Amino acid sequence: MRLQDRERVSRAIRTLRGDRSLDSLVDRIYEITEGSVSLDRATLQRVATGQTRVTRAIDSPEDCVRLYFALMIIGCEEELTLAEIVGEGRTMLAGFVGEPLATLVFADLRRTLPKLADLRTLREYLEEGLRVWLPK
Amino acid sequence: MATEVTAVPVLAESNTLRSEEERLRGMLEERLGIHTRFTSLPGTRALLVSPIAAGGSKGLVVDRSVSAAERISLYVHLVAHIALKHDLPLITIVESRGDVTSGDENNHRAADRLARAMWWGTSARADGRELWPGGRSRVLRPLLASRPGRLGLRLLLLVLRRLYYAARARRLLEDTVVARSLRDALCVTAVVCAAPELAAAHAGRDHSTA
Repeated sequence: MRLQDRERVSRAIRTLRGDRSLDSLVDRIYEITEGSVSLDRATLQRVATGQTRVTRAIDSPEDCVRLYFALMIIGCEEELTLAEIVGEGRTMLAGFVGEPLATLVFADLRRTLPKLADLRTLREYLEEGLRVWLPK
Repeated sequence: MATEVTAVPVLAESNTLRSEEERLRGMLEERLGIHTRFTSLPGTRALLVSPIAAGGSKGLVVDRSVSAAERISLYVHLVAHIALKHDLPLITIVESRGDVTSGDENNHRAADRLARAMWWGTSARADGRELWPGGRSRVLRPLLASRPGRLGLRLLLLVLRRLYYAARARRLLEDTVVARSLRDALCVTAVVCAAPELAAAHAGRDHSTA
């Protein structure tokens, strides 16, 4: 995929990873997505530092959506604020897949968010959202 | 991913209710492709997440504090949502504990109406009549329509169950129509006590759809 705003995506990823190192982030993304998103450290390093527009390991919209859910789950684990998680998650997704698809995927979270009591419930929602996007 | 909890540790729930809940959960998985898991969901009873592609499996997350009777009523309500095509791709149905917060209250009312018809086996589709315990105990419906009726019947059935075990009638009556009817009646009464909207003609619910 070609990133549409590499600087903004880089900032979103840096925010969502919280205090994690890039190595730990790569491992956690792999775990959360059950191996379906296998970013290598070098690529993630370049994306997170805004050095590249191209992410070969993320080569389909489905991969991008899984990465979107995974990064927001990590944001919950890092106990970021709800606004940070949601805002940066959406920015990251739009940077990867473009505004129209990002809006479509994000619409459910926007509608659901007022009914989620706390970060714990948000995380469960995100985990289930990711689960339905995992390959069979 | 969160650890899945398959055995819900709610003490003092009847085996009849738990086995009926397990049967219905299996039915949701087998017939509708709904994968269910239990976890802590403060303020929310359940989330039903639909995939982008039709035919993909759905994810149901249920709060682990929800009792077996409530879970049974939740399943019939969600099946009604699905029958009404509320499970659109990328739309999450939220069953909250609090007040209705969205403009989709009508969807829940419609689902409640259909759930009631399905539960008692009065919907147009006859093939679902034996699916839900209510369809096997339709005679109870008028008795369960009012709160005093529900409470009185529940008490009576619990006393009968105690007598059944105390008098060692189990050896004589196990696997008979009497025992099965008693079990069905206990199950239906417990579920309707937990979800009175299944009995009443005009009852509200505390939930909303995302």
